[in-house]
Amino acid sequence: MVGVAFTVFLAGSFFRLISMWRLAKKKDGLIFSYISIFFALRSIVHWILPFAGVSMRKHPAMTIVAFLFHVCLFAVPIFLSAHVILFKESWDISWWRLPDMAAEIMSWSVIGSCLFFLGRRIFLPEVRYLTSLSDYLILAAVAVPFISGLWSYHQWAAFQVVMIVHIISGEIMLMIIPFTRLSHMLFFPFTRGYMGSEFGAVRHAKDW
Amino acid sequence: MTKQKHNFCLAIEFFRKISSMKQTKILFYSVFSILFLLVGAFAAFSQEDIETVNDSAFENQTRPPVVFFHDTHNENAAIEECNACHHMFEDGKRLDDDDSIGMECSECHCSKMKDSMADLIRVYHLQCGGCHLKQKTGPVMCGECHRKR
Ligand code: HEC
Ligand code: HEC
Ligand code: HEC
Ligand code: HEC
Repeated sequence: MVGVAFTVFLAGSFFRLISMWRLAKKKDGLIFSYISIFFALRSIVHWILPFAGVSMRKHPAMTIVAFLFHVCLFAVPIFLSAHVILFKESWDISWWRLPDMAAEIMSWSVIGSCLFFLGRRIFLPEVRYLTSLSDYLILAAVAVPFISGLWSYHQWAAFQVVMIVHIISGEIMLMIIPFTRLSHMLFFPFTRGYMGSEFGAVRHAKDW
Repeated sequence: MTKQKHNFCLAIEFFRKISSMKQTKILFYSVFSILFLLVGAFAAFSQEDIETVNDSAFENQTRPPVVFFHDTHNENAAIEECNACHHMFEDGKRLDDDDSIGMECSECHCSKMKDSMADLIRVYHLQCGGCHLKQKTGPVMCGECHRKR
C-alpha cells in the first residue's frame, strides 16, 4: 500500500511535469527562450528565504507561520523516528531521526499553522474571496495525518483505528500532491524561475 | 511505689540476662537470616517471570516498555522450539538443534558499529512483528507492543 502511494506520487509528479512542459511548448514555445538560469535562481533564492521579499516583510505573521509550517511539514514525516524505523525494517535503510519531543512540538506547529490558515481563509475578506471548497479540503488533507499521528503516538482512545486513519490519510496526501494545488511543491521552481527570468532579463526589475 | 519499681528493674534484668545468653543470640540470628533468605528468594523468584522485553543495550528507552509475558506468550502462541527466538548460527547457517538461551539479542545484533541501535530495533521488530504478521494474530502496531499504562 505504501508502495502504491509512493509510485502514484512519483509517477504522477513525473507525468504532470512532462505534460506541463509539453503544454507550455505547444501553447507558447517562446517562453523557453526567456528562461535565464541566473535570474531564475535569483528569484527563487529571494522567495525561499524568510523576509527576503517585500511582500513577506509586509505580512510578518503570515511569513513566520508559512515558513514554520513548511519546514515542519517536510521534516516531521521524513525524520520522525517511527517512520525511519519502518523504512529500516522494510528496506534496511536508515537516516538521522528527530527526537520524539521535537517531532511532537513540530507536529503541533503544523496543526496550529493549519488553524491559522483556516482562520485566514474565513476572516480575511480578500482571502475569502479567492477561497473555494477545495482549499478547505486540502487544509484538512494536510492536517488529518498530523492529528491522527499525534493521537496514535499518545495512544489516546481507539488508537488502533486512528492509526489506520493515519496511514490512509498520509498515503492520500502523498498521492494527491501531483494532482491538486499541492503541486506547487513541484511547479514552484518553474513558475518562480519563469517570473524571475521575465522580470530580471526582460523588464530589468525585481519580482520579490 | 518502691515495690513497683523493684518489679520493673527485675524485669529489665531478666531480659538482659536472656539476651546475653549464647543460645538466644544464635536463635535470634538464625530467625533473622531465614527471614532474609525467604525475602531474597521471593524477590529472585518473582524476577524470573519476564513481563517486558528489556534489552540492556537500550540505555534510555524512548518508548514505553514492550509487554511480553514470556511463558504465557509462548504457551498461547504454541511456540514449541525455544530457538524460534533464541536462535544460534554457525557459518551463517541456522542450527536447528542449538539455541542462545541466556543471551540478550543485543549480544549478537548490536556488534556492528554502524547505527547499531537501528539494526537492533529492526531485528526485534522483524522477529516479533514478523511472526504476528505472518500468523495474522498478535500485535503489529507500535502502541500495541509499546503500551502506555
Ligand atoms: C517469542 C520469542 C521467544 C521464545 C519462543 C522464547 N523466548 Fe526466551 N526470551 C525472549 C526474549 C525477547 C527474552 C529477553 C527478555 C529481556 O531481555 O528482557 C527472553 C529471555 C529469556 C530468558 C532470560 C534470559 C536472561 O538473561 O534473563 C530465559 C532463561 C529464556 N528466555 C528461556 C527461554 C526458553 C527455555 C524458551 C523455550 C521454552 C524460550 N525462552 C522461548 C523471547 C523468546
Ligand atoms: C548467538 C548470537 C545471536 C543471538 C543471541 C540472536 N541472534 Fe538473531 N541472528 C544471529 C545471526 C548470526 C543471524 C544471521 C545473520 C544476519 O542476518 O545478521 C541472525 C539473524 C536474525 C534475524 C534475521 C535478520 C534479517 O536481516 O533478516 C532476526 C530478525 C533476528 N536474528 C532476531 C533476533 C532476536 C529478536 C534475538 C533475541 C531473542 C536474536 N536474534 C538473538 C545471531 C544471533
Ligand atoms: C513464532 C511466532 C511469534 C513470535 C516470534 C512472537 N510472537 Fe507474539 N504472538 C504470537 C501469536 C500466535 C500471538 C497470539 C496468541 C494468542 O492468540 O493469544 C501473539 C501474541 C502476542 C501479544 C498479545 C498477547 C498479550 O499478551 O497481550 C504480544 C504483546 C506479543 N505477542 C508480543 C511479542 C513480542 C514482544 C515478541 C518478540 C520478543 C513476540 N510476540 C514474538 C506469535 C509470536
Ligand atoms: C510486535 C511488537 C512490537 C511492535 C509492533 C513494535 N515494537 Fe518497537 N520494540 C519491540 C521490542 C521487543 C523492542 C526491544 C525493547 C527493549 O528491549 O526494550 C522494541 C524496541 C523499540 C525501540 C528502541 C527502544 C526504545 O524505547 O527506544 C523503539 C524506538 C521502537 N521499538 C519503536 C517502535 C515503533 C516506532 C513502532 C511502530 C512503528 C514499534 N516499535 C512497533 C517490539 C515491538
